[in-house]
Amino acid sequence: MAQKPSQRGATRASVKASKHHWPTRSRFNASLYFLQHKTTLKESFMRLLSYPLASVMTVMVIAIALSLPGGLYVVLKNVQTVTDQWERQSVITLYLFPNLEDTEALALSHQISAQPDVASVEYISKEEGLRYFERSSGYEQTLSSLSENPLPIVLRVIPREAVDVTTLSSLQALRDELATKPEVEIAELDAQWLQRLANILSFGQRFSYALSVLLVIAVLLIVGNTIRVAVESRRDEVLVMKLVGATDAYIRRPFLYMGFWFGILGGVFASLCILVLSWWVSAPAERLIDLYQSDFQLQTFNADEIVLCLTISAFVGVFGAWIAVNRHIANIELQ
Amino acid sequence: MEIEFQRVGKKYDSGQEALSQVSFHLQQGEMAFLTGHSGAGKSTLMKLMMMIERQTSGQILIDGVDLRTLSRRAIPQHRRRVGVVFQNHQLLLDRSVFHNVALPLQVSGADHEQIAKRVRAALDKVGLLEKEKFNPMALSGGEQQRVGIARAVVNKPQLLLADEPTGNLDPKLSAEIMNLFQEFNRVGVTVLVASHDLALVARMRHRVLTLNQGRMVNDGGFA
Repeated sequence: MAQKPSQRGATRASVKASKHHWPTRSRFNASLYFLQHKTTLKESFMRLLSYPLASVMTVMVIAIALSLPGGLYVVLKNVQTVTDQWERQSVITLYLFPNLEDTEALALSHQISAQPDVASVEYISKEEGLRYFERSSGYEQTLSSLSENPLPIVLRVIPREAVDVTTLSSLQALRDELATKPEVEIAELDAQWLQRLANILSFGQRFSYALSVLLVIAVLLIVGNTIRVAVESRRDEVLVMKLVGATDAYIRRPFLYMGFWFGILGGVFASLCILVLSWWVSAPAERLIDLYQSDFQLQTFNADEIVLCLTISAFVGVFGAWIAVNRHIANIELQ
Repeated sequence: MEIEFQRVGKKYDSGQEALSQVSFHLQQGEMAFLTGHSGAGKSTLMKLMMMIERQTSGQILIDGVDLRTLSRRAIPQHRRRVGVVFQNHQLLLDRSVFHNVALPLQVSGADHEQIAKRVRAALDKVGLLEKEKFNPMALSGGEQQRVGIARAVVNKPQLLLADEPTGNLDPKLSAEIMNLFQEFNRVGVTVLVASHDLALVARMRHRVLTLNQGRMVNDGGFA
């Protein structure tokens, strides 16, 4: 109530003074409000410390639950960077029908190279094909014994786009389009492996989303249960607070902060777990990837991702506490 | 604070009728006792005033405001204006006497300085200033009850309700507690004390309200 404190309890003057504004609302005092929040933040942390074992266990369960999707995310991120770097010149090889004349094939080659999404077309005649084949295969004897050149005319179409996970679908569209030309017997895009990898990646992504959702729900339940126990163990305090005029928001506050601490500490330990784990696997992983590719650096949680992880975990902590507190504080009524 | 009950009834969900047709009027600054056998409805009457329970019929006016018009959200504000000494809502044993008494002030958002000043004033009033750092468990029954009273008055309420405040105390301590209530009444606080200790009540020479099986059977004279 907005009245000056007098040294000793109520006085006639103070009673009179406050009689006229009823029902009153205490004036909102922002600095006091923030001070209260700061105090509650500190007190709720001290309360965690007063039950160190239980608190550590809860925090650790949350940390483990969060580090699973976090770790999976890091793995996917690394696979993605590796495959992104595996970008290379893509080639669509067109095997033309063997009965096609050179002139027709040349015309087709010009026509294709005029397409905007094609960088160049390399024309490989039957003879060139044969010579190339003889050089690379070691079947010179066998081939020279054949009366006729069995090889078709081949057009090596170099698209403008390099092949990687993101351009794969447009390259496939280009291949399909070229395959429909009447002169073309077979059109091959040299990227089957990439296709498979893209499928695996999108599977992994979905899997990790589903796992994240499940584990976030698990964290909600863990925090909710811990807060429920905390509310129950402070039943007397809640009752007395209600009796002396605490608002529901006031009673809720320390528990929400408790949820916040559980969440944020869980997030900190989850981030630590991921950092330590990725440091631990980095040496063998880099050696492994080096076999295929130079200058690979294992990616771990960066600052942004740590901040995101902490934000999510703090939010989940507060939200879990909110649900539990609302359910259980309503059950504690003065009798 | 002025209190008016107009034919107030309270029937619990179980069908038990705790109060029926209870009417009385307590003037601002008045002191009265509420007596009756256990189960006569004394506690229920107090709970209605605290809005712990809601009446099922009749009207309760506090300073002219009908309690039925107050929403759930207004209850905390209402309770801050009323000090209570309830038997079953005892002190919290996980904190010192000082922090027990400070609770109503913390709840209403007073700052530290103000809290310290008012808590010490209230403890001084009940003669426990030198025990502010004690745990309530280290105090005697009479001292604990006085801590409860300090907690009830620290917010400078305009109405003080006490439900069997002398419950387990010997006659001398009981008289001391009653004198404390009288002192608060002398500075303008409306006081209502529920007690079944008729001898003590008679000695205090204040208005006495008597309940019997939920009905007001005597209002006015001394017991």
